[in-house]
Amino acid sequence: MDGFSYNKILFAALTIFFTINYGLILQGIIGKIYARVGRRIGIRLFQPYFNIIRQWATRSAISHGVMYYLGPVFRFTGGAGILIFTPLILDAPLFNSFTYAGDVVLVSYFIFLGTLGMALGGGEAGHPYSAIAVTRGLAQTAAFEISLMLAIYSIAVQYNTISITEIIRAQQGGVLNWTLFTNPIATAAAMLAFLGSMMRSPFDVVLAPQEIPVGPPTEYQSQFLAMLMTNRTIFPVAKTVLYVNLFFGGVALYDSYLLTFVVFFLKTFFVYLWSVFVGVSFPRFRVDQSIRFFIKWPLLIGVIAVVAANIRY
Amino acid sequence: MTGTIALITGILLVLIGLWGILTNRDIIRMIVGFSLFDVGIHIIMLSIGYVAGGTAPIIENLSDIGKSYVDPVPQALVLTAIVIGLGITAFMLTYAVNMYEKKGTLEIDKFEELKW
Amino acid sequence: MVDPIYLIVIALATAFALGLFRKAPSLLPYGLTLAALAVMTVISGSWAYGILSGSLEGTDIFTAGFTPPVSINLYMGSLEAVLLLLVNLTALMTALVLRKEVKDTSVYMLMLLLVFVMGLNGVIMTRDLFNLFVFIEIVSIASAGLIALRSNLEQLGAGFKFVIAGALTSGFMLIGIIFTYYTTGSLNMDVIASQMSPALAATGYTGLFLIFIGMIMELKPFPVNGWGLDTYEASVPAVSALVAAGTTSAMFYAFLKTSYMSGGLFVQAAAVIGGMTFIGMNVLALQQDKSRRLLGYSSIAQIGLAVLAYALVALYRIENGEFIVFALILTHALAKALLFWLAGIVGKDSIHDWGVIKKKMILIAPFAVAVSALLGLPPFPSFFAKWDLVMGLAARGGMVWIILILSGSLLEAVYLMRWFGNAFKDSFNEEDTLDWRFGTVLPVFFNMTVLLALGYLSASQSSFSMGFNWILLGAVAVLMVLDFLPGIIKNLLLMGAIGYYGYGFVMAAESYRSVFAWIFALGALITLLPGFGVKGKRMGFYPSAALMFAGLIGLIEAVDFMGFFLSWEIMTLGSYFLILRGKDSKPHALSYMLFSLGGAYLLMTGFAMTYAGTGSIALGALVKAAIIPHSGIIFALLAVGFMTKMASAGLHIWLPGAHAEAETDVSPMVSGILLKAGVFGLLMTAISMGEQSIGPVSLPYVLSWVAVITALVANYMAAMQEDAKRLLAYSSIGQMGYALFGISLMSHLGWLSALVISIVHFIYKVTLFLAIGSVAKRTGTRNMYQMGGLITKMPFTFFSVLICIIALSGIPPLAGFSGKWIVYNAVLEKRWMLQGAVAGAAGIIAFLYLFRLIFAIFLGQLKDNHRKVKEAPFFLILPQALLLGLVMFFSFLPGSLLRPVGEILEEFTTAGALEWQGNMAISDYGYWNGVAVMWVFMALFAVFFLILTINGRRAQWIKQFNIVFAAERPARPETTHFSYNFFAPVRKALGFLEYPFTTNFWNRVSDFLHAVAGFCRRIYTGNGQTYLLQMVIFVVLSYMLTKGGF
Repeated sequence: MDGFSYNKILFAALTIFFTINYGLILQGIIGKIYARVGRRIGIRLFQPYFNIIRQWATRSAISHGVMYYLGPVFRFTGGAGILIFTPLILDAPLFNSFTYAGDVVLVSYFIFLGTLGMALGGGEAGHPYSAIAVTRGLAQTAAFEISLMLAIYSIAVQYNTISITEIIRAQQGGVLNWTLFTNPIATAAAMLAFLGSMMRSPFDVVLAPQEIPVGPPTEYQSQFLAMLMTNRTIFPVAKTVLYVNLFFGGVALYDSYLLTFVVFFLKTFFVYLWSVFVGVSFPRFRVDQSIRFFIKWPLLIGVIAVVAANIRY
Repeated sequence: MTGTIALITGILLVLIGLWGILTNRDIIRMIVGFSLFDVGIHIIMLSIGYVAGGTAPIIENLSDIGKSYVDPVPQALVLTAIVIGLGITAFMLTYAVNMYEKKGTLEIDKFEELKW
Repeated sequence: MVDPIYLIVIALATAFALGLFRKAPSLLPYGLTLAALAVMTVISGSWAYGILSGSLEGTDIFTAGFTPPVSINLYMGSLEAVLLLLVNLTALMTALVLRKEVKDTSVYMLMLLLVFVMGLNGVIMTRDLFNLFVFIEIVSIASAGLIALRSNLEQLGAGFKFVIAGALTSGFMLIGIIFTYYTTGSLNMDVIASQMSPALAATGYTGLFLIFIGMIMELKPFPVNGWGLDTYEASVPAVSALVAAGTTSAMFYAFLKTSYMSGGLFVQAAAVIGGMTFIGMNVLALQQDKSRRLLGYSSIAQIGLAVLAYALVALYRIENGEFIVFALILTHALAKALLFWLAGIVGKDSIHDWGVIKKKMILIAPFAVAVSALLGLPPFPSFFAKWDLVMGLAARGGMVWIILILSGSLLEAVYLMRWFGNAFKDSFNEEDTLDWRFGTVLPVFFNMTVLLALGYLSASQSSFSMGFNWILLGAVAVLMVLDFLPGIIKNLLLMGAIGYYGYGFVMAAESYRSVFAWIFALGALITLLPGFGVKGKRMGFYPSAALMFAGLIGLIEAVDFMGFFLSWEIMTLGSYFLILRGKDSKPHALSYMLFSLGGAYLLMTGFAMTYAGTGSIALGALVKAAIIPHSGIIFALLAVGFMTKMASAGLHIWLPGAHAEAETDVSPMVSGILLKAGVFGLLMTAISMGEQSIGPVSLPYVLSWVAVITALVANYMAAMQEDAKRLLAYSSIGQMGYALFGISLMSHLGWLSALVISIVHFIYKVTLFLAIGSVAKRTGTRNMYQMGGLITKMPFTFFSVLICIIALSGIPPLAGFSGKWIVYNAVLEKRWMLQGAVAGAAGIIAFLYLFRLIFAIFLGQLKDNHRKVKEAPFFLILPQALLLGLVMFFSFLPGSLLRPVGEILEEFTTAGALEWQGNMAISDYGYWNGVAVMWVFMALFAVFFLILTINGRRAQWIKQFNIVFAAERPARPETTHFSYNFFAPVRKALGFLEYPFTTNFWNRVSDFLHAVAGFCRRIYTGNGQTYLLQMVIFVVLSYMLTKGGF
């Protein structure tokens, strides 16, 4: 828990750069998987790179007002913030640049900064769909956050800490030390919440990507959209890393850098894939249905996790 | 003996008066009831101060000293009470007259403008 | 000194002298009457002054040259002198009021008045039983004459019922007197009292009983008092005033004398009858909407209370009983006379027509004073009397009576405050007039002044010394007097006073008190700033605000329960008047007042039990109270009392309306500042008493669930509001839920979170209410769906709201996050994760309403009719700017807030306290470096902003309607603003949360009470004969019950 030094700025920038690239590749792969499940050929693996570069290079842009202009900035700040507040790889200084700023509570609340900024920015565009999507997203978030919170409480009691680094450290020394195995109920609750947060089917009515897409990103174009897209590459990774850290043992620093990155890739990929699996298999909930879903089973599992943790530890 | 009879008479009169007040709807009859009630009380008062065989509590000459006499205080009180009773009765009657003039009836249950 | 016998002589002589004038409409007889009454007032006044100042002693007055028992004697002592002064003054004032009646009727009326007053003087002074009877008859005849002054049908009916009821009563009394004479051989009360023995009491029982019941019936006991109500209603208001103030006081004193004579033989019966009357009349009055009859109900109830107080003082040997009983009687007489006179000025009988009183706004002041005095609110004598009585009862184990007295008082508040609210808020017909004359107005203001003065005097008469700073109320009084000045000057005065006093006050406050002292003092100054923007005099606003702030300051300064409770009530009263000023706030102000009073009475009971258990009323006694029996109940009472102010679930229904309907600058006062009084009280209780339980139930545990449910449901409700200010009001309930949760955690971190939430909630809720208030002011609506796109019109207000919602939602890097982070740690420490999760869920739901608030108002499409809306006025922006500065300061340096507050709490418990390494706060579970978060945020934001700006510098800024709607341009884009029923899917899923359980519950309570009142008051059939029958049955039953058979 050391304090600030100037090289951390560099480390943070590198972390963001690394994650952008990783996120773009991940997007390509996931896009491919989606297509193949749907018996299509799908995009090229590096299509996301082209997309984002194209958007950044667009010359003309229109702005609806100050808040509209600042929306993407807020969004990206939020996404990048979580990334550098979260330890990506345990004890690697490069990937722990600003983890000293706060614990899991900070990270889980910082997520909302970007969401809020984007929602407000999209709101100023004056299109009702944007606001409709935000209400749906907020409603769904409120529902799934409860079970996530219960899961986090459960493991906080289990490990007696809410520092992410300490939680990862407590899971070292073998696969069976992962929260997944030491506290499967909490993990189950959290992974159900994870589905909600990834905005994929059955919880994707927020964006409704298959029909007329709604939501703040729809209101944006050119550089603004580019910034949002960039955020969208790092944001799911940051979230997934958080889940990996809390429930799947995190990523320790191995002797071999390659091994470390392979482990990082595998863990985040498979956790991410969980939402993709569910997404391709299930039809979509309406918002009120997803709220009802989340306040039934995930909530119950979360409560059991907390009560169990309370009794056991 | 005389005292007891007076007391019983008084109590009876009070009860009859009360009965009259509570059972007659006519205001004049009620007032009559009140008069009986009053008179009953007055007789009770007198009977309280009565001493058997006593004389009036007036000393006319020295030979009266030492004789047994009835208690003068209740008698004085009764005088006052009668006066007051008279005043009240007169007052009630005035009311009765006025009420009759305003409403043309003397039934007590017709005067229920104010209630609850 | 003038012989008191002249009181009687003067009245009688003048009355006879008036007979010389024949029906003269001239001024002479009237002047003569006034002069006689004035002389009588002076005589009684000089006696009162002489005896109370110690230069005179109580004197016997003998008549006919003999001493008792042979002759009749009168007595002039301190009580007599005071009551005589009261009666004669009231009579003098009434004579002034009756000026017009004198013209209309005849000189006989003046004679009646004089005889009436003479009778009252006699009743008060005489020590002879039969003489008492005579004077009572004189009073009775004279008042029967005055009642029928206008000889209309109602007066005749009422007068006749009065006469026959009086005749029956005096008949019983007369029998009683003669029986008593028979057994004791004397008519002199002192002689009889000196002979009184159990044996004598047994043989003379019937006589003594008849005297007792006769006197009681003169006081119109429930339920045999229909004739009394009719009298109050039918008479000319001025006569009712004299009856209510004069007759009842004199008769009450006569009752005391006879009761003393019988050696307190019937004290228990008096307690039962008094209590029954107090409760019964207050319940039945609920359905009453005729003002004079209402006052009648109230009068009888108050006398019932006085009888009850007397009986309880005797039964429980409560100290300072004379003060208790006479403070109640005097307050009642002065206030009730005032109200009857006021009824005369207003001239409307239905309480729904009293709006006309606003033609002379100044009349609101005496009205308010009288109502407050009747309710026993400070600073009136009845407050101190009730306090002494309740404390005494608690100390002697009379809890049941405390409950009875306080519930009766609450019931009384229902109809009196409703009436006051009606008068203050209802519109009126411009053609209606007030009877505004010197003679009618002077008495009203005279009594008001006397009530205030007596209140001040009686504070020192209470048997409890009290730490309350009267300078605070003095300032309020000064503002009341200066109310004719322009608002801006008064505002300067008030702010100057608060600034001047507040500095020393904040510096002197210790421990966690200093936190609240800062909130109250700073909050007062900041929320008064918008007042500079209000033109005109703003009558009544500044005294009310001063009253509220005086209460808040007094709360912090209080060292004992009495000072605390007094400040609490003052604060409540001031805020009630403030809330009542809002446009549609009538019902909300009423429910605010009732809930506040109910809560206050719970506090009083809790304090009383503490006093009973520890023998001390110092606030420190709460610490000792932690280990006495019933400590759990004390904790529960205090907690519920304070939670009423914090609007916790179940007790919250008053808040949304009250805060939403209040004026623009009042909402922040009551929401941002006032609610913290509840937090303060509860925190004090929690810190002092520690964990308490009733049986196996841990109270903090119960509180924690109440707290999180409050937060959850309130936040949900906030998200469902269309009205922006209601949204904010519900949000306050939710935030107070968090504060309550923090307190209920009973740990260092829990309390720290409660304090931090109090501070930041003060900052952002004041700002939000000011911002939204100015929007409402500019747009003329509070409905969010009628707004939209105001960001370009009111950019500063938007910015202000933006900062506040980020702070409120607890999103880092702004100050609100500190509270959230601490709560998480505190929850883990306590292992109350389930409650923690509910609180967390509530926090997420908060995003819903916060987004709605800012989006629906400022973003989306601008409405056509808002194209010319201007930015908020300067004096609404200034306070917001100041507070935003504070938010930013605490956001950049969270340690500057958390560290000193944490240090304060380390005095009480250090377990789990935060450890600080530079800017990093370390708890047992996690860590947080607010400064680092802030800098990271700013750096990232700056970099990305720069990237975007460099890259997109050619961005074209387009106009409002440049949107495409499903590939079509909407014809009227502003209609596409999405705002109504914003969270429809949430409502579909969670709509059950909206079911108004609490509102329905309280409505049912209210409906039930009103139904009971409506049904039971039918015993007052209006039939005089029925009343007589009721009286006879009452006497017989009372006899059987007191004696236990015949």
